[in-house]
Amino acid sequence: MSDTRIESYATALVQIAQAEGVLDRIKDDMYRVARAAESSDQLRSVLNDELIPAERRQTIVESLLEGKGHPLSSHLVGLVIGSGRGRDLAAILDIVAARGASESGMNLAEVRSAVALSADQQTRLAAALSKRTGKTVDLKVVVDPSVVGGIVATVGDIVIDGTVRTNLDQLKSRL
Amino acid sequence: MSLISLFATPDPTQTHSWILPETSEIIYGGISSTIVFALLVKFAFPLAKKALQGRTEKIAKEMSDAAQMRTDADTEAGDIRRAVGDIGNERTRLMAEADVQSEVLLREGRGRITVEVAELEAKAAADLVAAASRIGDELRGEIARLSSTTIDKVVRATLDDKAQQDLVESFINSVGASR
Repeated sequence: MSDTRIESYATALVQIAQAEGVLDRIKDDMYRVARAAESSDQLRSVLNDELIPAERRQTIVESLLEGKGHPLSSHLVGLVIGSGRGRDLAAILDIVAARGASESGMNLAEVRSAVALSADQQTRLAAALSKRTGKTVDLKVVVDPSVVGGIVATVGDIVIDGTVRTNLDQLKSRL
Repeated sequence: MSLISLFATPDPTQTHSWILPETSEIIYGGISSTIVFALLVKFAFPLAKKALQGRTEKIAKEMSDAAQMRTDADTEAGDIRRAVGDIGNERTRLMAEADVQSEVLLREGRGRITVEVAELEAKAAADLVAAASRIGDELRGEIARLSSTTIDKVVRATLDDKAQQDLVESFINSVGASR
């Protein structure tokens, strides 16, 4: 799907959430579903499978949110899937999450770490990223074993990479 | 005395001479001899002379022919000798030409072989360099691959919880410190 169409779908979801006054709440749900869809080929395949009834696929999304998500979140995700745009689900939901953070006066900061971060570490890291970028950040931590060790943080166009994976790749490239 | 009268006479003592003939016999005999001689001179001598002259001319002609044949034989012998000489010269020339050609062929062959040997040596040297380079590259690649695998394993093995936390803290501190 083109970037324009992805933007249009994301804008539509944001406007619905704004109309319902729950954008700040659902942005976290959108982010979680986007990460789940991004990390699982099987999940993407199921969500894109039009032979599976839309209700069934929406149930799967609700199970991803583990009942903690806002009811509108699963409906919005179901809207995207029902429109046959499941292939671009992660991209659309990422934009919604970023717009939600922006509406709150913050910037979405995606942090990938090999291990889970404690609340204290998340607080200090958010403060450090805010200081570094000059923006208030909405920290989203993703545990990603592929980084091997360390952290990579993405705030808008800024990428701060301190992962062992990148250092290993650079070392292999030099070898 | 005639022959008839001689045989008719029974007694030889009645002749005037038993050596000389009768006068008439001499006369008739002389005339007959003269006539015979004249006839011989008139008819036989020219024929004999002509026959002798013809034989002489024939012999002369045969001698001339023989001389001509000899001259021809001498000429032919000279031609043959000259031809033999020419054959010798031709043989010498052909041998010299063959020597020159063989020398040229040898020179060209040596030159061509030298060039080919030089090309083969250059190709062999290039192949050696390429093989060495390829082997070096393969070796480097293999070392890099093994090193990468080893480093990956070693790093993952050494990254315990404490190391992970140290990396996280180091990242947080470095991000907070740099502005």
